[in-house]
Amino acid sequence: MTPGGLRNCRPYLRQRPVMLGLLTGLAVLFFLIVTGLSSLYHAQRAALGERWFKRGAADLNAARYEPAATEFRAALLYSRDNYAYQLNLAQALIGIHQTGQAYAYLLNLWDREPENGQVNLALARIVAARGQTQQAIRYYHDAVYATWPTNEEGQRREARLELIDLLFGTHANSPAQAELVALSENEAEGPGLHDRVGDLFMRAGDYERALAAYRLSLKSDQHDAAALAAAGHAAFQLGQYPLAERYLESAVAANANDHASAEQLKTTEMVLRIDPFQPRISPGERNRLIVQAFATAGRRLMNCAQGRSVAPKTGPAEPNLGDEWTSLKPRVSLRNLETRPLLADRAMGLVFRIEKQTSVFCGSPTATDYALLLISKLHEGS
Amino acid sequence: MVLRENPGTEAPVDPAPPPPAMGWMNEHSARRLWRAVFREERFFLVLSVFIGVFAGLAVVCFRFAIDWSRLYLLGTGAVLTPTRLLLAPTLAGLVIAVLVIHFFPATRGSGVNQTKAALYVYNGQIPFRTAVGKFITAALAIGAGHSLGPEDPSLQIGACLASVFGRQMRLSRDRMRLLAPVGAAAGLAAAFNAPISAVLFVIEEVIGRWTAGILGSVVASAVSAVVVMRWFLGSESMFRIPAVELRHPSELIAYAALGVVGGVASVVFASGIATFRPKCKALPPWTQYFQPAIAGLLIGVIAVMGAPQVMGAGYEYIDQAMHGQFTWQFLGILAGLKILATLLSFVSGTPGGMFAPTLFIGAMLGGAVAGVQHLFVPQLTGSVATYALVGMGVLFAGFLRAPMTSVFMVLEVSGNYSIIVPVIVANTFAYVISRALQPIPIFDLLTRQDGLELPSMEEQREEGILHVEDAMQPVEGAVLDAGDTVEKALSEVGDRGGEDLLVRLRPGGWSTVTRQRLRAMAMEGKGGANLGSVLPVQSIPYLHPDHPLDSALRYVDRWPIVPVVSRADIRRLEGVVTERDVLARYREFGEG
Repeated sequence: MTPGGLRNCRPYLRQRPVMLGLLTGLAVLFFLIVTGLSSLYHAQRAALGERWFKRGAADLNAARYEPAATEFRAALLYSRDNYAYQLNLAQALIGIHQTGQAYAYLLNLWDREPENGQVNLALARIVAARGQTQQAIRYYHDAVYATWPTNEEGQRREARLELIDLLFGTHANSPAQAELVALSENEAEGPGLHDRVGDLFMRAGDYERALAAYRLSLKSDQHDAAALAAAGHAAFQLGQYPLAERYLESAVAANANDHASAEQLKTTEMVLRIDPFQPRISPGERNRLIVQAFATAGRRLMNCAQGRSVAPKTGPAEPNLGDEWTSLKPRVSLRNLETRPLLADRAMGLVFRIEKQTSVFCGSPTATDYALLLISKLHEGS
Repeated sequence: MVLRENPGTEAPVDPAPPPPAMGWMNEHSARRLWRAVFREERFFLVLSVFIGVFAGLAVVCFRFAIDWSRLYLLGTGAVLTPTRLLLAPTLAGLVIAVLVIHFFPATRGSGVNQTKAALYVYNGQIPFRTAVGKFITAALAIGAGHSLGPEDPSLQIGACLASVFGRQMRLSRDRMRLLAPVGAAAGLAAAFNAPISAVLFVIEEVIGRWTAGILGSVVASAVSAVVVMRWFLGSESMFRIPAVELRHPSELIAYAALGVVGGVASVVFASGIATFRPKCKALPPWTQYFQPAIAGLLIGVIAVMGAPQVMGAGYEYIDQAMHGQFTWQFLGILAGLKILATLLSFVSGTPGGMFAPTLFIGAMLGGAVAGVQHLFVPQLTGSVATYALVGMGVLFAGFLRAPMTSVFMVLEVSGNYSIIVPVIVANTFAYVISRALQPIPIFDLLTRQDGLELPSMEEQREEGILHVEDAMQPVEGAVLDAGDTVEKALSEVGDRGGEDLLVRLRPGGWSTVTRQRLRAMAMEGKGGANLGSVLPVQSIPYLHPDHPLDSALRYVDRWPIVPVVSRADIRRLEGVVTERDVLARYREFGEG
């Protein structure tokens, strides 16, 4: 167009509709330019965020929490609301014991995804450490039923195990046992896990389930010294002394340094050796054991009386245990026991009462007295 | 600051060429339709939307520029190296000084006052060069770590774009004046991602009055700018706001305490600017090349010493403060250091805004106050985030002295209306304290330091307005009725009152008649005629007591006496006003 032509067009170009048209065109052009710039900008930020996140993740895996936290913070500069960045930063902050900051991040994440297992578990740990047990239990429960990115069953189990630990720690034994039962019902294979479950059942005093868990563990590895010892302890607590003896012998054989099991094995052997009520022993042998037990109880009673001004009594209306023992002593002989079967029960009844009373009032029993005490518990009600 | 660039006078309007012919209409109809569609006010509204779109795009680019300059000058990590912390703001300060002194002298400072000056002094004209200069220098300054924010420059860039469009469109002078605030609202809304606050701020601080004519355009431009901004940068709010609530009304005492602290901090901040800005300007001209660099170096030193959070706008740190990432002691230190850093940046003439630093200081103060209160009054349940949020509003009300914007800004940013009562309580305390200790608002102070006399919006808001009741006098003579005969009227009037008499018309309305006219009518033999039949049919205007006295001025020169009647019953006379009464009242007001 010639300059003259342009001059002629100028009045038309100044027309408002034409100007609005030009503005629209200009806006579209500007929009396209900004779209290009925006793509560049966002791509660069995403790349930078990812770069810092990868560095942070590597440091977090290597337990270098301090640099990891800094790197996750840098990543968050480029993607403020990125869930993974925030979660990893929270974990790094927990690693450097900045739980206050971590808690703030986790709460924010919880608001966005209340069903996230990792967030719930981390929150549970923080509030548990602060002593807010009820809140911690809620978070643990949420973690148990939450969704997990990988190994969902395993993560849920770990959360439940931590919850059980917390419940035991706060003496909430019944809820802890309920959780344990739920856990054992959904238990997956794995000796380590069975051992942990067994330990927790032992802690709850549920020796039968504990023994069952250890047996499952021993199915995978028969020579697992810890599982053998634990199974022995569980059987011992249940009064299944022959079984306990077997497990404890194997445990001591597998680990000679396991002194606790060795000691318990000795007690078990003693119980099995001096128990007059055990089956498959001859009447003579049984009577001999009764006479020995009666004598042991008498010695325990004498020793106890020497250490105390008054001999222990069974109750206000009952005769003195010492007098009873003294009056019965002449009759407790191998011959009388052979001819008077009821005497055996009476003598052993007195032995058991003496051992129980003296265990309360007269300090630690000797090995034989302790074995008699265990035998008394074993035959209670029989 | 003196705006040296005066773009000159308005260009003459070209004669409009005829519209194109339309076959199915006659030429007259087509021309009418053409004019209806492109009538100035409608065209202005459409143009406002375009201004919003362009301002939004410009602000998005401005944001990219700030972030890119930060990346390349300070580095990409969260922990910055001391070398960069010291060198980046210093060297950027040198470059900025050269650019401002030699190429863009109108870009100094925040941009709010320059926009006001465009409205009141330069007929809405802002040179395009100002927008370019502001874009470059502010992006460089903020990106390099100067303690300034992007909102006020965005406001000025928006106003400048609007002015350019207005000039190209050959708008009338009135429209040109209004265009700058329209662009300003668009720029601010896009920068702040808060259209309501932007509209309110522009009306409260730039225009100073609510007028229906401008409100629609300001809202249209602000909304279109925010839509564009969100298109590119997402609709996330500036801060991630945790749940905020007011559990017990007694906590308002704590928020009042925050208001007091914020008010005092505002005064300290404003006094610092009032004191040091003229001193820096009074230094020899050659020092202006080094002032931004020295400010940058000192800010770098603050950063190296352990508070890099004071650099730049600092929005990410406000967010972190809200989420309990800092101890209350550190929050208090950050508030103090940010005041210092912003003072350094601003008084050195570095281009950049004060909105972001104000919000930063408020948030940190709020967080610190929350920490102290939790320490001494652990029963208080307000979270750090709540206090930080309220703190932002407090500084906005105390320092920028925009009380209404401060409340809506917090509501808009938080999206939570349960916080409104704490915000109002705290802001009121801050505003009252700030006014008592620092009578001149910061924007007025800056304009006066620059030698301009722009209208003070705060003074305008509080200016006393005279009403008709202030000049109204009781009726001295008799009030006649249109049903009375002329003779009866003459006998009722007697010698009481002045020459001019009021006549109550039926069924409504008022008229006047003079004694002389009554006598003349009696002499003419019309004594038995009703007044209503002999007086002119058209009634005179009347006023109500609550009308502004200015309205009386429209009538008192044409009618010697104007009735002031009750709004409940226009036949009931409350008093009268005359030209003499009105002028006397104005004279008294001016002297008082």
